[in-house]
Formats: sequence, C-alpha cells, structure tokens
Amino acid sequence: MSDSRKNARRLSMLAVVIPASAVLIALVIIAIGAEWFAPYDPLKQSLREALQSPSAVHWLGTDNLGRDVLSRLIFGGRIALMASAEATIIAIVLGVPLGLFIGYRGGWWDWFVMRLVEAVVSIPGIMMAIVIIAILGTGLHRAMIALGIIYSTAFLRLARSVVLAEREEVYVKAARVVGAKPNRILLRHILPNIAPPLVIQTTLTVGAVLLAEAGLSFIGIGIQPPDASWGTMLNTAATYMSLKPFLAIPPGIAIVVTVLSVNLLGDVMRDSMGRGIVGGTSAVTKLANKITSDSIDRVEPLEEAASSATLKVKNLEVMVSSKSGDVIPVVTDLGFEIAKGETLGLVGESGCGKTITGLAILGLIGSGGGVTRGSIKLNGIELRNLSARQLQKVRGEEVSMVFQDPTTSLNPAYTVGEQIAEVLRVKRGMSSKAAWARAIELIARVGIPHAAERAKSYPHELSGGMAQRIAIARALSCNPTLLIADEPTTALDVTVQQGILDLFCDLQEEFGMAILFITHDLAVAADICDRICVMYAGEMVEMADVDSLFSNPRHPYTAGLLTAMPQSSNRNPPLPTIRGTVPTPQMWPAGCRFAERCEYMQSACRQPVPLQNGTRLVRCLRANELELGVKQ
Amino acid sequence: MLRLIGQRLIALIPLLFIVSILTFSFTSIMPGDPVDLVLGDDASEEQIQLVRERMGLNVPIVQRYFIWLGKAVQGDFGNSFFYSVKVMDNIKERLPVTISLAAVSAAIALFVGLGAGIAAALRPRSWIDRWATLGATLGQAVPNFWLGLILAAAFAVELRWFPATGFTSLTESPWEWLRSITLPALALGLSSSAAIARQSRSAMVGVLQQDYIRAARAQGLSASRVIFKHALKNALIPVVTVFSFLVTVLLGGALIVEQVFAINGLGSLAINAVWRQDIPVIQGIVLVSVVIVVGIQLLTDIAYGYLNPKARPV
Repeated sequence: MSDSRKNARRLSMLAVVIPASAVLIALVIIAIGAEWFAPYDPLKQSLREALQSPSAVHWLGTDNLGRDVLSRLIFGGRIALMASAEATIIAIVLGVPLGLFIGYRGGWWDWFVMRLVEAVVSIPGIMMAIVIIAILGTGLHRAMIALGIIYSTAFLRLARSVVLAEREEVYVKAARVVGAKPNRILLRHILPNIAPPLVIQTTLTVGAVLLAEAGLSFIGIGIQPPDASWGTMLNTAATYMSLKPFLAIPPGIAIVVTVLSVNLLGDVMRDSMGRGIVGGTSAVTKLANKITSDSIDRVEPLEEAASSATLKVKNLEVMVSSKSGDVIPVVTDLGFEIAKGETLGLVGESGCGKTITGLAILGLIGSGGGVTRGSIKLNGIELRNLSARQLQKVRGEEVSMVFQDPTTSLNPAYTVGEQIAEVLRVKRGMSSKAAWARAIELIARVGIPHAAERAKSYPHELSGGMAQRIAIARALSCNPTLLIADEPTTALDVTVQQGILDLFCDLQEEFGMAILFITHDLAVAADICDRICVMYAGEMVEMADVDSLFSNPRHPYTAGLLTAMPQSSNRNPPLPTIRGTVPTPQMWPAGCRFAERCEYMQSACRQPVPLQNGTRLVRCLRANELELGVKQ
Repeated sequence: MLRLIGQRLIALIPLLFIVSILTFSFTSIMPGDPVDLVLGDDASEEQIQLVRERMGLNVPIVQRYFIWLGKAVQGDFGNSFFYSVKVMDNIKERLPVTISLAAVSAAIALFVGLGAGIAAALRPRSWIDRWATLGATLGQAVPNFWLGLILAAAFAVELRWFPATGFTSLTESPWEWLRSITLPALALGLSSSAAIARQSRSAMVGVLQQDYIRAARAQGLSASRVIFKHALKNALIPVVTVFSFLVTVLLGGALIVEQVFAINGLGSLAINAVWRQDIPVIQGIVLVSVVIVVGIQLLTDIAYGYLNPKARPV
C-alpha cells in the first residue's frame, strides 16, 4: 500500500478516534466533577421557574419542577457512566470465568450451562431485566445487576468459543501427541487470543448498557426519581411533550453522542484488529478516465477482408488498478486468432495475464480494470464497440466460459439443473418445462449417469469432476461459437482430469465451437490444443502449432518450460527449473521481459522487442540463431 | 425440510423445559412470602392458611412445579395476585397489541435495512454507501423510545398527522390501526434496521466477489437477475441469523416504545406487575413471549434451511 493511501486511512481513522475519545474523556471529567461543573443543585425545585426555555440563567431551561436541566444532565452523565461501568464489570466477572470453565471442562457442564444461556437469551433482554427487577426490586444497582446478568451471556459465549478454538490449534494437538498436558499451553495461549474480542465485546456492551439503562429508567423501573438520569429526564419529557417538547432534546442528544462515541471507538478497534479495507475509488476513477480518453481513438469498425476466424484478438492491452492505487498494464500487445473447431492453448505461469485475457473477451474484468487498447472480434463483430446490453446478449449465446474451480463457480443455493435451465429460459426463451428437459439432456450428454436425479442435486452434493461437467454443460447450453476454458482441470483430481479433457474434445466434434484453453500445464495443452500461444509477463512470447512448438521451440522461455516438464526429463537428476522469478507488472522492464532470467541475454535485449514474424511468431531478437532443443 | 423442522422441534424441548424451571423459580427466589404480599401485614392466621391452601403453597416445591407446569402448558398461569382475573385472559387482551407493533416494526426494519444494505453493497464507497453507513452507525446509537418521542413531537403534536397516544385494533378499523401504529413502529423499526443494514451490506459485498457471480455473468445473465436471484439468496443467509436475534430485541423494545405512545400492550402489564411483584402475571408474560420468540426462531431456521441447502439434514 502506498504511503499516501496509508496516511489517508490513518487520517480518516483519527478523524473518528479523536472526537470520540474527546467526548468520552470530557464525559468522565464532567461526571467526576459534577458538583463543580453543575451551575445548580440538580434536585433543587423552584415551581415558579417551571418549564422555562433556555436562557442566560438556565442554559438548557428548567423542567416541570423548575429544576435546572443542564445540572440534571451533568449529574445524569455521572449516573450513566457509573451504571454502564457497573453492569459491564458484572457481565465480565460473571461471564468470562464461567465461559472459560465450561469451554475447558466440556461435557455435561458445557451442555447444561449452554442450554441455560440459550434459555436466558430467548427471553427478550428488557423483559429479563423486568423479571430480575421484579425479584430484586427497583433501583439503579439492582437494575445494573439485572443488565450485568443478561450481558454476561455474551462474554460467556465469547470466552467459551476462544477456548474451543484454541483446543483445535496445532500446537495443542502437538502437545497432546508428545504426551504433554495441553491445559497449561492452553492457558498461556488463551489470554492473548481472548483480549481483542474481549475489548470489542466490552465496547459493544457499554453502548448497549447505556441504552438499556436509559430505557429502564424511562419506563420507571431503573433510577428512581428525584435522582437525575438521562432516562428519567426523558420520562419527564414524555409527560410534558405537548407543553415543552424541548425537554426531550438535551438528554436524547447526550445519549446518542455518548453511545455513538463508544460504538465508533469499538468499530475502529474491530477494524484495526480485524482485516483491513480493500479497494479504492481513486484508482478506478483514474482508470475510467483513461479508458474514456482512449476510447476516442477507438478501433475502426471497418470490416477487414472476411476471415474464417471465430475469434480475432489484436493489439490487446488490459490495465487494472493496483492496491496502491496506480493503474498498471497486465496484458500488452496481445494478438491471436482461433478458427471454428480449433483449440488454441494460452499457456503461461500464474500471473502472466491468461485469465484476465479470457475475462477481457467476455467484457467481465469488473470495475477495477478494463481493456484500454486493441480489438476483440467475435464472428466479425467488434466486441469493444458493443453496449453493455449487446455484450450481455453475446455472453452465453456466442461466447461462454468454464472456470477453474467448479465448486465455487456453481451457485451453492440452487440445484444444478435449475442453473442450466435458467440460462435456457433467459437466453433461449424456453418454457420452464422444456428448459428443464433440455437441462437433463445436457447433463446426460456431459457423461453424468442418472441425469434426471442429478439435476435436482445441489453443487455441494457433487464431486469436483461432476460439478465441472455440469459447468461445461451450462456453458454449452446455448451452443456458443467460442468456449473459453480457464484451467478447467487444475482443481480436479488427476484421475478425473483426463475424463474432462476427453469430454472437451468430444463436445468440440459435436458442437464445432472454437476453444480458448487457458492452462499453465504444457502437458495438458499438448493433449488438447491444436496451437499454443505462450505468454510471459503480459505478452505473447511465442505461438505455433503443438508439434512444432514442442519439437522446435524458438523462444528461450518456451524452451525452459518444456525442459521443466516432468515428462521430458529423467527422474535423476532433479527436475530442472528456470532460474529467477516472474517480474510483477510494476517491475516489467522496458526491453525483453524475460531478459533477467535468460541465459542468452545480450545488450540489445534491453530495448523493446517486437514480435518477429518470420517462420514463427516469436518475441526474441535471437530467435533465428539460437539452438534451443529441449535439454534432456 | 420436514426432517429439519422435526430436529429443531426436538431441540426446543430442553430449552423450554429450562425456561419453565427458571420462570417457576421466580416465586421461590423472591425475598419475602408471597402470602404477605397478597394479604398485607395484619392478616390473621386463618386467612394466611386459607391463602396458602388456595395458592397451593403447602405442597412440596417439586410437586408444585409439575402442577404449575401441567397447567401452564394448557395456557393456565393461574390468577393474578391482586385481581381476580386469569393471567391468560389478561395476556390475551394485551398480546395482539404488542405483536402487531413488533411485526410491523420487523417489516420496517427488514425493508429499510435490506434496501440500504444492498444499495450500499452494490456501490461500495459511493455516496449511497457513505450515507447508509452513517445512518446505520447513528441508528445503533439512537434509543428507540427517544426516536419515538421525537417522531411524536413532530408528526403527532406539531403536524397532527397521527394520533400521539393510544392504539386502535386492526379488526376495529384498519385505517385507524395504521395511523396509530405508524409512529411507534417507525421508532422501533428504524432503530432496529441498522443491524440488518450492516449485516446485509457486508454479506452482499462478500457474495458479489464470489466466482459463481462472475460465472453467472459469463452466461450472459443480466446484472439485476444476477444480483437479485443469484447473489441475494446467498447474502440473505447471515441476515436471517441476525433477524432471528432481532426478534427478541423487537419484542423487548416494543415494551418500552408502548410507554411512549401510551399503548396498553404487554409492556404496561409487565411494568405494573413489577411494581406489585405480581409473579403469576410476570411468569405468564415471560413464558408466552419465550414461546413466541422460539416459534419465530423456528421459522427463521426453516428460512435458513431454504436459503442454504448445505444446512439441510441429509
């Protein structure tokens, strides 16, 4: 994260913390020195001065008995602080040890206390307080004992869950394995783990108690008159609502500001102890500006000589906004074609821009990025010129995508049959019945037995391989001319991978679609692809048909990948690797992006390297001179 | 689904049993003899014996509990200490008032909370998001009864659009019912919507980042269909959990908000019972409201099972 962003976040955090802490500190000071700060005795009545409006003498006016509202507000603050401290301390002292104990002991103790907690929690809090007050009698301390008992359940559950979570930690299990008693280790680790949630729960409780105390006093069973509390003041205000509505304002504001300050501090603590915030507007706006300015010199809509290619990508550039807020390119100058019925492999290491290329074709990069240059033509239509609505029509019908992890790319809340049938209904206008019947046909077609029953399954009830077959069936439901498959076998068991690859070949023969097959695995690509486009750090380094690429790589990176394939090397010596690591987009050099890792690097490689188009598309200055055969 | 309902119902039995023991034990924890409470200090020995007999206090406590429980499950909580009315009749008269207030408040809380939460989640860091977050933060700090007072001052006392006090039942006059319930339900519902808004925002933001959302878009489904069909059903799962907690909060809050608008619901019945230590009335109110809470939690469990297939028993 860049320094400016960090500072901005710290500033906005301080903008909350400083006023909130100031309010609470001021409240504590005023509460302690209430006698000194209050201009009048809060209990001194003067019926002649009843129900006055704010004036220089009485800054906040007077109540029905002529008592000074400001003085009562100040003494009410003292009560509010005392009450919330008292109830919170009771809650912690009752809840934490009991929660630790039952978490520790488990068994019958745990069962019984938790049922008791459930019982207490199922009684509305205010009603529980009313009951306890009915037993103990009214008054501040009794009401606070009641609230303390109620809120102790939250601390109890928290302490118990921390103990239970720690029990499952590796170091505790390890201690058990070596025969040590885990209890001592547990105790030592519980304290640091319980502190953060305890602090947060405490702030939540203080806020809740403040509100509850005001509520109980308001209905007359908390603080008893004539003592001033914010709740009793509101009780008075309610009675004189039509005569003097202003009476409700000072105590109400006092409650809101105090509770707000406590809650805000709690929020900040939770945020700083929990995870940070991601995303940002500034980068997206910057990017949006850039995209619009680029769009002015949009690709020419002129039709080129009709080509048989289903997909034609030219000079594609994709930018995304990084976490630090900068807009960076992740794909540059990328171009390829796929013919009807052909499979093109897009091969490269993770982070080289393969997946985002697939998403760029679909127009689905999202608000954090976009295509900034180049042309994407599907069946002769420039996708970059389409409106959002037109693009939506193209998706699913003309082009569709299969994702890496089938267990996350299917919606867990709907049956798999419904997810296929929905596409048919929406995109093809089929009736529910016809769509369902067709969905079952498709499920059977992708090789799943008992399709009619399987259609009623939810994704979590299927194996990974079966779920991926469903995802493929959905992608093909509208007969698209292009299928983008993004690492469709990577998340699957090795034993089912081959079945899925065979399915792709099989379906391509029947449906005749073009396939863009994205993978990091050259062996998989060799199995299924006709041609392979090798990508490195956001650009294409080499493209050729599978046989030529494997037998005669022209780019040192391709050669390195081939050498690193397990199949092509002996078990002994160990698997060769390419030295160094892939540079991140921010670190891309101006010249050849592979230069740093290349053993054939020359000084000329420091200059930008264009794609050479001789016998082979390759981005290497020395493509024609190097002897690169795959080392055995 | 039936299996889920069956499992939950069975799990409720120990809970209700413990609540009944807790509730029954009020009489025995209470300082002082309930007989003194009823008769005052200068009662004769015969009178005391008579009352003890009538209240069943001469039987051992365990036996007394089961007699009480046997009647309670049939809806008989005995008579009030002070009025010769059946507690259940008293509750039956007040309950519909409190229930209708809590129900309308729940509807408002859901509508406002979900609306604000989803609108904020769709455009994180936009002005809608900022205002919704601000509103939710403020909403959690505003006491519902104070909001009630302010609403009453503005719309009942000043503008006279709504009655400031009282309650008309739905069967009597639907229009007057709506007028009498609007302000209290707004006070209670708006202050409860904050929790729903916060939860639904964070759930929706999380769900929108899921793979299956992108996959649904890749199938060419419209943004609104993806949001309101594919994302919403998943985002509602944690909201349902919050809502089931909120039910108890609303029921408790109703007791207080009723006082602002001088509505004769369970609230004033309970408060008067506290002052007189009228234990049978309190026992009745507690048990009835726990049954309601538990019933609604059962409904939310069913909703949870509907939304989340993984939670259904196999």
